[in-house]
Amino acid sequence: MNDRDKPVPSNQALSSNKGFGPGETGDFPGASGLLFEQAMAQTRMAVCLTDPLHEDDPIVFCNEAFERLTGYGRNEIIGRNCRFLQGSETDQDEVGRIREALREEKVAVVELLNYRKDGTKFWNALHLGPIYDEKNKLKYFFGSQWDVSDVHAARAEERHAKAMARGVSHRLKNVFAVIGGIVNITGRSMGAREVSTRINERIQALGRSYEPTLDEAFLGTTDVGQAVRAVLRPYDPEDGRFTFTGGSVRTEPNAISAIGLTLHELATNASKYGALTTDDGHIDVSWRHKRDRFGRGSLLIAWKETCGPPIDSPPSSGGTGFQIANALLSNSRGALDRYWEADGLRAEIHFPLEV
Amino acid sequence: MQESNSILVVEDEPFVALDLKFACEDVGCDAVTASNCREAISAVGETAFIGAVLDVNLGRDETCDAIARTLRDHDIPFVLHTGDLDRAGEYLRGIEAPIVAKPSTASAVIARLQKLNSERST
Repeated sequence: MNDRDKPVPSNQALSSNKGFGPGETGDFPGASGLLFEQAMAQTRMAVCLTDPLHEDDPIVFCNEAFERLTGYGRNEIIGRNCRFLQGSETDQDEVGRIREALREEKVAVVELLNYRKDGTKFWNALHLGPIYDEKNKLKYFFGSQWDVSDVHAARAEERHAKAMARGVSHRLKNVFAVIGGIVNITGRSMGAREVSTRINERIQALGRSYEPTLDEAFLGTTDVGQAVRAVLRPYDPEDGRFTFTGGSVRTEPNAISAIGLTLHELATNASKYGALTTDDGHIDVSWRHKRDRFGRGSLLIAWKETCGPPIDSPPSSGGTGFQIANALLSNSRGALDRYWEADGLRAEIHFPLEV
Repeated sequence: MQESNSILVVEDEPFVALDLKFACEDVGCDAVTASNCREAISAVGETAFIGAVLDVNLGRDETCDAIARTLRDHDIPFVLHTGDLDRAGEYLRGIEAPIVAKPSTASAVIARLQKLNSERST
């Protein structure tokens, strides 16, 4: 039978309850050696006591969880200083904080990389503090160890994912910039500057729509408000032409190309014929989730121009840009509705979130 | 040194550099392109530029820091053209130049520089 699996009633270093002065546990009838040791044997938290009055502050008590955590047997632990758990990658600054706590008899919590008997590493959240006797003299140091390797791995993974997303985002922005250059230069050399300019504007609008997706790629969805602002940013160099209203609404990244290009067409139209052609023209853009007429969840983005040039009648043709936007939206079972009011265009982009 | 209506374009990506050069010519300016700080600083010694467009990351860990300081010393206005807004923010905050986010159209970059110039002259 493995003797680590049953409570051990005593050990050579702490054979009675004298480890705790009456100030801590003396009023509590359960503070007998037996109950203390049974509790220590059962807890999953690794615990040890060291004796700072002896040379090199040796461990004088450890529980079973401490043996399980470190892989060492009790006879290999008792009498040694805790530093035998450290190794080449242990952060000496953290070790310095332990020394400081010991010197100043303070409570401290440090996280450090420790090594098991078999050489494997684990992140140890070490809580340590002084224990005093009845005369208030330092008697032991208490240490509890908790393996927080999982927490460390999760934190490192998140940091890594964010750094990767940022790197990819930066590169893709540069790729979009290079594509823009290629399109312009090609269009120029082939005498098709008008066409290449139109193509480029749409490519760049697409690139901006994806900015928030790229920066937060690890989340899997895109914040609609961020995408809307990014697409419309170049149309508002003075920062006052647009008002944005909408809470935190997230959508699938693949909804973004249709929505981004549609907003680009609306803004292009406004800067040619609408509210962006006058000095005090203004555009309100809002977004929210709603149920469509079939009861499906959908995203609604509302566009409202005011103080633009007066509109006598709807334009005779839809324009190529709006044809493209409509085709993209209807491909995803979405729609663009436009209403020409006297003081400016109203438009609604509907995009189903569930099909 | 001769008077000019030249714009300095510092950009290590040739397609983007050429696109910016054309956009300069579209508004009646000449452009001198440089792909690193050394070339750019030597160009500043030869031409009296009316403004500059600086890519922030010039490859191989080089940034536009050195040319930005040279332009400051010569009182030549410039805009920063970068896709890495976080890093540009941390690192070039002290320089206080307008930032045009990549990707933007070349004409928008040049328009921002012209606006900066007109703000300075009024």
